Amino acid sequence: MAVCSAYTTQSLNSTCSISTPAKTHLGFHQKQVVFYRRSSKRGGSGSSSSPCVITCSAGDSQTVVIGLAADSGCGKSTFMRRLTSVFGGAAEPPKGGNPDSNTLISDMTTVICLDDYHSLDRTGRKEKGVTALDPRANDFDLMYEQVKAIKSGVAVDKPIYNHVTGLLDPPELIKPPKILVIEGLHPMFDERVRDLLDFSIYLDISNEVKFAWKIQRDLTLLKTLQRDMAERGHSLESIKASIEARKPDFDAYIDPQKKYADAVIEVLPTQLIPDDNEGKVLRVRLIMKEGVKHFSPVYLFDEGSTISWIPCGRKLTCSYPGIKFHYGPDTYFGNEVSILEMDGQFDRLDELIYVESHLSNISTKFYGEVTQQMLKHADFPGSNNGTGLFQTIVGLKIRDLYEQITSSKTAAPLEATKA
Amino acid sequence: MATLRFNSLTGTVEKNPTSSFSSNPRLSWAYFQCNNKGERRASRMTVKAMGAAKYKGTQMREKKLTEMIEKKVSEAKQVCEGDETSDECKVAWDEVEEVSQAKADLRLRLEIEKKDPLESFCQENPETEECKIYED
Repeated sequence: MAVCSAYTTQSLNSTCSISTPAKTHLGFHQKQVVFYRRSSKRGGSGSSSSPCVITCSAGDSQTVVIGLAADSGCGKSTFMRRLTSVFGGAAEPPKGGNPDSNTLISDMTTVICLDDYHSLDRTGRKEKGVTALDPRANDFDLMYEQVKAIKSGVAVDKPIYNHVTGLLDPPELIKPPKILVIEGLHPMFDERVRDLLDFSIYLDISNEVKFAWKIQRDLTLLKTLQRDMAERGHSLESIKASIEARKPDFDAYIDPQKKYADAVIEVLPTQLIPDDNEGKVLRVRLIMKEGVKHFSPVYLFDEGSTISWIPCGRKLTCSYPGIKFHYGPDTYFGNEVSILEMDGQFDRLDELIYVESHLSNISTKFYGEVTQQMLKHADFPGSNNGTGLFQTIVGLKIRDLYEQITSSKTAAPLEATKA
Repeated sequence: MATLRFNSLTGTVEKNPTSSFSSNPRLSWAYFQCNNKGERRASRMTVKAMGAAKYKGTQMREKKLTEMIEKKVSEAKQVCEGDETSDECKVAWDEVEEVSQAKADLRLRLEIEKKDPLESFCQENPETEECKIYED
């Protein structure tokens, strides 16, 4: 809905023109200025018609900004896909631009990779002896300026960090979307950027799970059998060494952001299988900060109480190792939080819908929406455990937050256009 | 007399993979073992169907990333031999992580989106080298 304010200006006698608004993509809102000359039809009283300037800003709403801290690459992660899917539409790289762009754009959302704000490219970091995790390799001033600009409805030319070449490529234009997601290693590192975020999430993967996932990522079936041949590329040792070498910087610069997050998704090895080291069955904890504006934490049965719940029993049969839930209040780095925890995995559709029907405050628009979203992306990693479940739920909470923010803005008085 | 044993195994598709990188359902391999005068030599034939890589540019990127991973892993091992806690060592492994993730992202896009990342670029620029159709 456009809000237009009309002003009259005593300006120079210039020919007023009507500028046709630039064709805007659905979901983008831009300031449009229309110069309009009001012809005075009243008699020759001598008063010259003063040119009117009508300024319209579509929606008059600021972009909602979400921060996601994750060590798993940029803008292409499963979480991002689930999130954009909740809003509808698939997220794609900007059409016709740099093919190595990290940006993803869908109807409602634009996902920016914070690696684009590297101040040092790969060679530069090597020379200075800093990893990408180090704040010295990132330009927080530029990050702040550009996120602030986008938030207030101004398009920016954002640099591109090319992960294939390791160089900084020429910038790409980012137009303000309805929802901007900034994903990367440092969304909550800089205080000014933190203050721009309407909601923030931290994806906290434990070391054991990280190790197991990276093995699956980097070691193909082929390599695990290559015992007799010379080791080329990754091995168990190299993966372990890589995690260990990055750990000091990770602990110093990335991990401390946890305490600022409104929601933390913590991924741990399961407690249901003793000595499990495969990292296939997972224990996932959704840690939700209390008192966050427009965000009401998900709960089980009775808000604020402590619940232990095993859904498998008479009404629902599950296969080994089953499913176990826990919910309760807690403190996390000095903040009041509520924690919802799931250990185990879903085997069948009816387990998922059964669990969904017992959760409250999940911000669904219809019964079974969580299940539907999970099924829609059944091929995504984590679709049968807490990672997929909680990522989907956080996506719905973000949608809810977005709708609350935008409806509270349109509730502001509207001035009718009196042109 | 050499005996040839042949096992074939087709990769199994996990119904709902939990890892951050799903197993490739189209990976199949055959393992040969030749016993010849007590001498054992294992050789391997692999047939790996790529995701939907359509353009030469994507195939080139994937190849480049694979080569970079190998190169950077051996570099990192060398650099870290002296001092594991040195800055050079940290940076070397960080580079390995960066390119490993870049390769995984590319694979993930091909497999999950089933679309070549160069698709929209190549529609606008079909005559470039990168946009030649990749033929297996």
